[in-house]
Amino acid sequence: MASIKFDHVWKRFGDFAALKDFTLDVADQEFLVLVGPSGCGKTTALRCLAGLEEVTSGTIMIGDRVVNDIPPKDRDIAMVFQSYALYPHMSVYDNMAFGLKLRKIPKAEIDRRVKEAAEMLQIGHLLDRKPKALSGGQRQRVALGRAIVRHPSVFLMDEPLSNLDAKLRVQTRAEISKLHQRLKTTFIYVTHDQTEAMTMGTRIAVMRDGVLQQLDTPQNLYDHPANMFVAGFIGSPSMNFFEATLVRGDGQVLVDFGPFQLPVPPSRIDAIADHIGMPIFFGIRPEDIHDAHYVPRGVDESARLMTTVNVVEPLGSEVYAYVENGGKEMVARLDPRTKARTGEVLEIIIDMSKMHIFDRDTERALI
Amino acid sequence: MQQAETLSARPARRVRWMNRDRAIALLMIAPSALAIAVFVYGFIGWTAYISMTDWRGLAISTSFVGFDNYLTIFSTGRFQTNIRNLIVFTLFFLASCLVIGLLLAVLVDARIRFEGFFRSVYIFPMALSFIVTGVVWQWLFAPGNWPNDPTGINLLFKQSGLGFLQAAWTTDTNVVPGWRIEGLRTRIGIPMAMIPVVVAAVWQMSGFVMAMYLAGLRGIPDEIKEAARVDGATEWQVFRHITLPMLQPITLSAVIILGHISLKIFDLIITMTGGAPGNNTEVPGLYMYEITFKANKFAEGAAVAMVMLVVVALLVVPYLIYNRRTEVER
Amino acid sequence: MSSVAIPAPGRRRIRWSRVVVYSLILAFLLFFLLPVYLLLITSFKSFDQVSLSRMWDLPTSFSLESFNRAWNGGEGVIGMRGSFWNSVQMVVPATVISCILGSLNGYVLSKWRFPGSETLFTLILFGMFIPYQSILVPLVEVLREIRLYATIPGLVLVHVVYGIPITTLIFRNYYATVPNELVEAAKIDGADFFGIYRSVMLPLSAPGFVVVAIWQFTSIWNEFLFGLIITNDPQLRPVTVALQNLSGSQFTQWNVQMAGALLVALPPLLVYIFLGKYFLRGLLAGSLKG
Repeated sequence: MASIKFDHVWKRFGDFAALKDFTLDVADQEFLVLVGPSGCGKTTALRCLAGLEEVTSGTIMIGDRVVNDIPPKDRDIAMVFQSYALYPHMSVYDNMAFGLKLRKIPKAEIDRRVKEAAEMLQIGHLLDRKPKALSGGQRQRVALGRAIVRHPSVFLMDEPLSNLDAKLRVQTRAEISKLHQRLKTTFIYVTHDQTEAMTMGTRIAVMRDGVLQQLDTPQNLYDHPANMFVAGFIGSPSMNFFEATLVRGDGQVLVDFGPFQLPVPPSRIDAIADHIGMPIFFGIRPEDIHDAHYVPRGVDESARLMTTVNVVEPLGSEVYAYVENGGKEMVARLDPRTKARTGEVLEIIIDMSKMHIFDRDTERALI
Repeated sequence: MQQAETLSARPARRVRWMNRDRAIALLMIAPSALAIAVFVYGFIGWTAYISMTDWRGLAISTSFVGFDNYLTIFSTGRFQTNIRNLIVFTLFFLASCLVIGLLLAVLVDARIRFEGFFRSVYIFPMALSFIVTGVVWQWLFAPGNWPNDPTGINLLFKQSGLGFLQAAWTTDTNVVPGWRIEGLRTRIGIPMAMIPVVVAAVWQMSGFVMAMYLAGLRGIPDEIKEAARVDGATEWQVFRHITLPMLQPITLSAVIILGHISLKIFDLIITMTGGAPGNNTEVPGLYMYEITFKANKFAEGAAVAMVMLVVVALLVVPYLIYNRRTEVER
Repeated sequence: MSSVAIPAPGRRRIRWSRVVVYSLILAFLLFFLLPVYLLLITSFKSFDQVSLSRMWDLPTSFSLESFNRAWNGGEGVIGMRGSFWNSVQMVVPATVISCILGSLNGYVLSKWRFPGSETLFTLILFGMFIPYQSILVPLVEVLREIRLYATIPGLVLVHVVYGIPITTLIFRNYYATVPNELVEAAKIDGADFFGIYRSVMLPLSAPGFVVVAIWQFTSIWNEFLFGLIITNDPQLRPVTVALQNLSGSQFTQWNVQMAGALLVALPPLLVYIFLGKYFLRGLLAGSLKG
């Protein structure tokens, strides 16, 4: 049983609170990602879980034990550090065997586990080398191997991919996911990269300034962000935000942006009924803005807008276009066949069924 | 030499410019290189030559005698005693400095208050001459008419109720265990009078070792120690399996530096004991001085000097070569 | 749960380990300061207070008699005043010259490498380790030939020459940290060997000079063997030789010896107290780390 529970955890460094009332439940064998910008508290949470920092108040449980007073070595965890932290004076084999030797595991068993992990990570041929003779990617695997051989209840990972080059990063991402499926152990993974978070996590905890913003599956975070921060953090390019008001007019409900208005589709009217007449933040993702000539099937075409194109970024599989109307600028992900050109006019269709509304003061999602 | 003109358009001229600078560089280092060549290597060669003659006193002509002088000095009880004393001194001095230096570094590193102050106190003896150290410690270890009318630390022991700790210190003629071995003209063991000398030397030099280890301890990244803790190590195990092995390069440096100082030691001995009692604290460094500048036996003195040089070279040369090779790798 | 941030990561320290740490720290403090204590109380005692059986008693009154005897001499004791001046005459020129030499050598060996420069450096470095006993007799002979034996300039020459290895080492390692790009930029701007030295290296050299100067000052002031062999004449000898003489003599009272020791120790100690940071750097530089 290696579920994890953060229960109203606070961590203060002097006057500064790195974690504020942090409460989180992680199920056994989950791959939970802690994600957020620098300083959001994700690494602090990980280190508190590892026992490398003491919590100021609150409890942390691993399985059914409260581990607040238990030192790292007795928490049955393994950790991969951002800098890998390999022991420079030991060979790869000894690096991996170190924790097992300390626990007085018989030599034969140590040998078996090390070789098994080495094979899993394809570093069997490096066992005699010292860390300084390895490449970054190889060192990372050794760090992983060192964690694997311990057969811990929980794996902790602190931004393990950030020191790798882009291509290696993508490759290793998939391998870590495979590892998770194979080992069937709980993984707690810290990153600042939302792509990593989305692709790897069974659930994601988005954090900001020590506060948990939302804990949910990747798809739910995407579809139903709890506030503007999460909405803007998840998805690339970020969601477009506008100050707007909900108004009634011509028998419809409209979103009034100022220079233009867009109709709310009938399916969403009930949900927003309470907020009509109020100023709000309106959000729409770039992928839900289409070139009027290349609208995917099934999308309601009633929300149309003429815009001027400011910047066009062709990516091959799609085109990012920065367009504006009346001073309101937005990013759109367009079909690659689009004829949008800088300086020209483009008619766009906005899929209002995917709209997001946020409270002006709290930035919370209203629907 | 002042040529601040702008770059000439012709590349050939610029290449010649560089060569001229090269020549100046060589010229600038030549005097030092020459000085070292003469004053170090030339003189060593000369001393080696003298050691193989029979030059004594005011002899006008001397003749070549090969290795006779070496055979002579090694067969004297006095020189054998010197060697025994040197071995004892070096071993105790090195071991104590390393242990105490490491201990002090660990203590100072343990986030104590007024760290800077304590550090300064432990290092300050390095600023003193061995002569000053010798004078002060000579009086500290002067036993007086112990146990009833002692002086020095014996007196301190008596006054603080620890009178049983009194000893003969620098006047102790014992050699422990003092075995006689066939073929050797000296007694094997630890000359007890050497202990005070070791204490004085350790007092002077352990701060230096502490400074080295402190720098080393602070160079070990925290994450590596944290990884060890997560791996299951207690603080002691972290120290033994991670910290200590990572300090090895420093230990090696310290051994080389302390070692070569120890093998040449002269100032401290001549001030604290003068070699007494008997020859129990005499070392080759002192013996060479006595035999060359007091007894005028230049050839034998040269032989002693060459023996000292060879021993130091055996210690230092491999280290210099190893150091150079690792620097090339970088 | 305690809300005090524990300094070290990991578990809470047991209180008494702090007690052990501080006890040891203080014990060593006593060990290191004991000789200082003795030195101070003895030097400030008047002759009638001085007694071997009351060595550890504090002086009943503050007296400079011992210092006076040590400095000016009297009652068969030769004062150290003269040797102080000798030492100064020896140390200052030797320090200045060996700093300049070290800087030039370090500059050449770090920025103007040539085939064999590393070997040359190693050969020079070896000179730092040799027992001076192995060059003494030839040294005396040569000094006699060039009429510098038993002179202070001769002593200066000796210290300059045998100071070359350590000063070169410190400067070379120091200049190696200066980015080569700066030198290359200066070359492109048209600077020659001395131009680069003047415009790139020299402005950056201040810390290097301080470290080397302090190191050389301390080493040469504290040195004994060369002083003994080359200038044993009471008129010419440096302080260390005078002090050793004082301590070995039958006539000198031990309080005078202590006062003399304090006087000899004072200049390097003052340097250490005020410029200790640079002293430490010199110490660590000599440990050949890199």
